Amino acid sequence: MNVLRFVFRLFFKRQQVEKELNEELASHIAMEARLRVQEGESPEAARQAALRQFGNVGLVAEVTRGQWGFTWFEQALSDVRYGTRSFARTPQFSAIVIITLALGIGSSTTIFSLLDGILLRALPFPDSNRLMMLWELPPGTQKPNVVNLSNFAAWRERNHSFESMAAFLGLPMNLLSDQGAEQVPGFAVTADFFSTLGTPPLLGRTFRPGEYWTDEPREVVLSYDAWRRRFGGRADVIGRKISIDVSHHEIIGVMPPGFGLPNKKAEIYVPQAIYFNEGRNYSVIARLRPGVSPEAAKAEMATLASQTAREKVHMDAGWSATAVPLLEQAVGSVRPILLMIFAAVGLVLILTCANVANLLMMRASGRTREISVRLALGASRSRILRQLLVESLLLALVGGLLGVVLGGIALHWLKTFLPESLHIPRLNEVALNVPVLLYSALASLLSALIFGLAPALQSMKRNVSEDLHESTRSVTSGRKVRRVLVVTEIALALVLVSVAGLMVRSFLRLASVDTGFRAENVLTVRMMLLPAQKQQYHAETVRQMLDRIRALPGVVADGSIGILPMEGTNSGTAYYRADRPDPEPNARPGGDVSIITPGYFETMRIPMIRGRAFNAQDRAGSPLVAILNQSAAHMLFPNEDALGKRVKVEWDNNDVVEVVGVVADIRHSEVSTPPDPCLFMPNDQQPFWAAALVVRTTGDPAQIENAIREQIRLVDADQGISKIEEMQQMVSDSIAQPRLEATVLTLFGVIALGLASIGLYGLIAFSVVQRTREVGIRMALGASRAGVFRMILGDGLRLTLIGGIVGLAVIIGLSRVLRSLLFEIQPLDTSTLSSVIGILIIVSLLACYVPARRATKADPATVLREE
Amino acid sequence: MIEPTRYQNRIEILQGTLDLLILQTLARREQHGHGISVAIRARSGEVLSVETGSLYPALHRLERRGWLDSEWKVSENNQRAKYYSLTKTGKKQLAAEQDRWSLLVRAVSGVLNPV
Repeated sequence: MNVLRFVFRLFFKRQQVEKELNEELASHIAMEARLRVQEGESPEAARQAALRQFGNVGLVAEVTRGQWGFTWFEQALSDVRYGTRSFARTPQFSAIVIITLALGIGSSTTIFSLLDGILLRALPFPDSNRLMMLWELPPGTQKPNVVNLSNFAAWRERNHSFESMAAFLGLPMNLLSDQGAEQVPGFAVTADFFSTLGTPPLLGRTFRPGEYWTDEPREVVLSYDAWRRRFGGRADVIGRKISIDVSHHEIIGVMPPGFGLPNKKAEIYVPQAIYFNEGRNYSVIARLRPGVSPEAAKAEMATLASQTAREKVHMDAGWSATAVPLLEQAVGSVRPILLMIFAAVGLVLILTCANVANLLMMRASGRTREISVRLALGASRSRILRQLLVESLLLALVGGLLGVVLGGIALHWLKTFLPESLHIPRLNEVALNVPVLLYSALASLLSALIFGLAPALQSMKRNVSEDLHESTRSVTSGRKVRRVLVVTEIALALVLVSVAGLMVRSFLRLASVDTGFRAENVLTVRMMLLPAQKQQYHAETVRQMLDRIRALPGVVADGSIGILPMEGTNSGTAYYRADRPDPEPNARPGGDVSIITPGYFETMRIPMIRGRAFNAQDRAGSPLVAILNQSAAHMLFPNEDALGKRVKVEWDNNDVVEVVGVVADIRHSEVSTPPDPCLFMPNDQQPFWAAALVVRTTGDPAQIENAIREQIRLVDADQGISKIEEMQQMVSDSIAQPRLEATVLTLFGVIALGLASIGLYGLIAFSVVQRTREVGIRMALGASRAGVFRMILGDGLRLTLIGGIVGLAVIIGLSRVLRSLLFEIQPLDTSTLSSVIGILIIVSLLACYVPARRATKADPATVLREE
Repeated sequence: MIEPTRYQNRIEILQGTLDLLILQTLARREQHGHGISVAIRARSGEVLSVETGSLYPALHRLERRGWLDSEWKVSENNQRAKYYSLTKTGKKQLAAEQDRWSLLVRAVSGVLNPV
C-alpha cells in the first residue's frame, strides 16, 4: 500500500508538489519585496534586495526537496537517464555489450530451466520424495533388475518401511476401434498402483485397492491425453466399454493431465493379477512410511531379499534387492551431462562477463576526463561509483530481459524439436517459470556486479588534477586487471574446448563401433501378439505374416526376433551345460536369450561361425535346438567345440537343447556395451509373446511399409502394430544422446573460444593504441618492424600460454568426472588435448595479428610529432 | 562574495531550536513562510534570523512528520501564499520542545552562574 502511494506520489503528484514549492518560494520573495516597498524602497531595488536576502533559490528548493524523501530514487533515475544517454551516444558499443550479455544470460536461462524442470523440481505426485522404485539385484552385480511377482508379494507382506507397494509392467496394448487395430503404450498395474502414487483421478475412480485379484476385473483407466485424443474429452466415457487385447474393458476413470511415471508413457492402465512363476518382469513402485529414510528402506530391502533367497533357493539364491528414490531413478541418467552442460554455460556466462568488463574498462579509460571533470565539480566519489554501477545494472537489465526472451524462444524450440529418441525425462515439465526467472534476474545482477565493479573501481583510483592535466598521455591503470581477465578467459575456453573435443572424439568412437549386424535397408515391425489359447498359435501367426511378406516385391530376406537389437534391453535367463551336474543355484551362468525365426541371421547379416542356422525342420515336436553366440560358446565350452553339445535353459519348460550352430557376437542392448553371451532358440519350438519382424529390402525400406501393414491385417485384422521403424534409425537413435551432448558442448566450446579470442584481441589492440608512442620511440631508436611485430605477438602469446596452463590444470582436476562421461577415451587423451592447444595458439595468434600489424605500421615521425 | 559584516549583529539559530521557534510562532495563528521568518526576527528584537535555506526544508520536514498542516490562502495583501498551521500532534510536540528548551536553559545558566 505504502509503496503504491509512494509511486503514485512520485509520478502523479510530483509535478504538482514541485509547482507548489516554486510558488511558495516566489510568494516569499514577493512578500519581502512588498514589505520593503512599504518601507520606502523603489520596487526594482526592493525586488533585488528581496532576492539577495533570499539567497540561492535553486539551492533552497533543492534542499527542501531533499525533505520529501524520494531523492535517492530520483538520483537513481537521473543516473539511469544519464547512463541511457551515454549509451545512446555509443550505440555500437552498447549493442555489442547488450547482445553479448543477452546471449550469455539467454543460454544460461535455457539450460537452467532444463535443470530446474528435470532435476530440481519435485515429481508431480503428492509427497513425491517418499516414492521409491524397488529392484532385485542379480548375484554379484549392482545392476537393478526387474522383479519377480512372488518376491514382490513377500516384500509387500513383510516390510515395515513402506505404506504401500505396487507392481507394474509397461507394454504395448492392442486397442481395437472403428479405425482398426493399433497398439498403444499401456501399463498393467497391481491394485495399489494409483493409491501408492497418490494422485486422484480427474474423472470416475481408479482400481479398488487393497486386494489381490485372482481374476482381474475387465476395467481400464485412461490417461488424460488418451481421453482427449481418442474420446474427445467427453465426460460420458465412464462406463463405456473398449476392446483391449481382444477383450472388453469398462472405462472406470480418467487421470489428470501430466499424470504418469517420468519417461514412461502410458495411454491406458489395466489391472494386473498377481500370479506366481519364476520370471522377473515387473517394476515396483513403493511409498515410504512418513519418517522412514530411504537408506533405512534400502537396508530393509536387502534383509527381505536375503530371507527370500534362503526360502526359494532354486530361484533367489544370490539375489539381493534395493530401493532407489523415484526422482533419482528418473533423472539419474541425465544428471551428470545436464550438470556438465550447466557448468559449461556457466563458464560461458563468466566469459561473457569478463568480456563486458573488458569493454567497459576500455570505455572507462576513454571517460577518464569526463569523470575527472565531474569529480572536480564536486561530485562525491560514492556518487560517481553509484553512477557507474547503475550503468552496469542498466546494461545487465536490458541484456537480461533480451536474454530471457531469447531463452524462452530457445526453450520452445528445444521442446518442439528435440527428438523423442533422446529419452530426456520430464521434458514436458520444463518451463520458464518463477524460479527460472529468479535465476535469470540473479544471473543478470551478479553479472552486472562482476563486470561493473572492476571498471568502476578502476575509475575511482584517479588523481583528478593529474588526469585533467595529462589528457593526452596514455593511461595504463587497470591493465593488470584486464590481463588477468583475459588469462581467465583463455583458461576457461581451453577447458570448454577440451571437454567438447573429448566428447566429440568419444562420440565418433561410439558411432564407429561395429554393432555386428548390417542395419541399412532393414525395416522392423514390432507388436505384442494377441492372446492365444495355445502358445503355438503365436508361432503360427508369425510364420504366416513372414510367408506373406516374403512374397512382396523388393523383399530380400525376412525374419523375426522377440526383442530387437538397440531397444536398450533384452530377455535373458540362466543356461548351463547339461552334460555335467547342475551348478549351485547362485553360480549358474547365463545371459541373453533371443527367440528367432530361421531368416533372422540372414536378414541382419550376422555371420554364422560354425554349424547351421535354424530351418523349417526345427519345429514343434522335432528335437529341441539352440544356437550360441561366440561369447556364450566361449563361456559354456571354453576350448571345446560347442556343436552338438547339450545345454539346459531355464526358460518356459526348462528344456535341454542341442547346440546346432555358433553365430558371431553383436551388440544387442546398446552400442556402448560389449556383447553379452546370448542363446538363440527357434520361435516354432519356444513361441514368444512378442514379435519384431525384420525385413531386408532392395530399395528404401520405408516404401514397403504400407504393403507390410496390409499383409499383417490380412493375417489377423485385430492384430495392431506398436511401431514400424527402420533398423538404421534405431541404431542412430541409440546414440542420439551422446551425439546431442557432443554437439551442445562443441557449440559452447566454439562460443567460449570466440569470446576468449575477442577478449584477447581487444586487450592487445587497446594496448597497441596505448603503446603507439612507445613503439614510435623504439622504432626511432632503431627497432625493426619485425622486432615490434614479434614483441606485440609475444605479449599475446604469453597470455595464451599462461591461460592454457591454468586450463590444463583444471582439466586434470576434472579428469575423474570426465572419465564417467566418455566412451573408450581417456580424459587426458594426448591427441585431443594437443590439438586443442594447437587450435588455441592459432586462434590467439590470429587475434593478435591484426593489432600487431597495426603497431608496425606506425610512422615514428608522425607518432612523436603528435605528442 | 557576500560582505562579511552583513549579519554581524544577528545570531545563527541553534541547531534544533528552529523547530521550536516555528512551532511556537504557529501556536498563535496560522502563518506563511515569510510571515514566520518576519515574526521570528521581530520577536527576537532583530537578533534571530532564519535563513530561507533552513526555514523551508524545516517546514516541509515538520509537515511530513504530521506536526503541521498547510493550506493555500490569499493574504491580507491579496498575495497567494501557503499557510501553515499546527496539528494536534504538533501541539503536543510544541509542549515537549518547550520542556526540553527550559531544561536546556536551566542547565546552561546553571553552568554559567554557579551558585
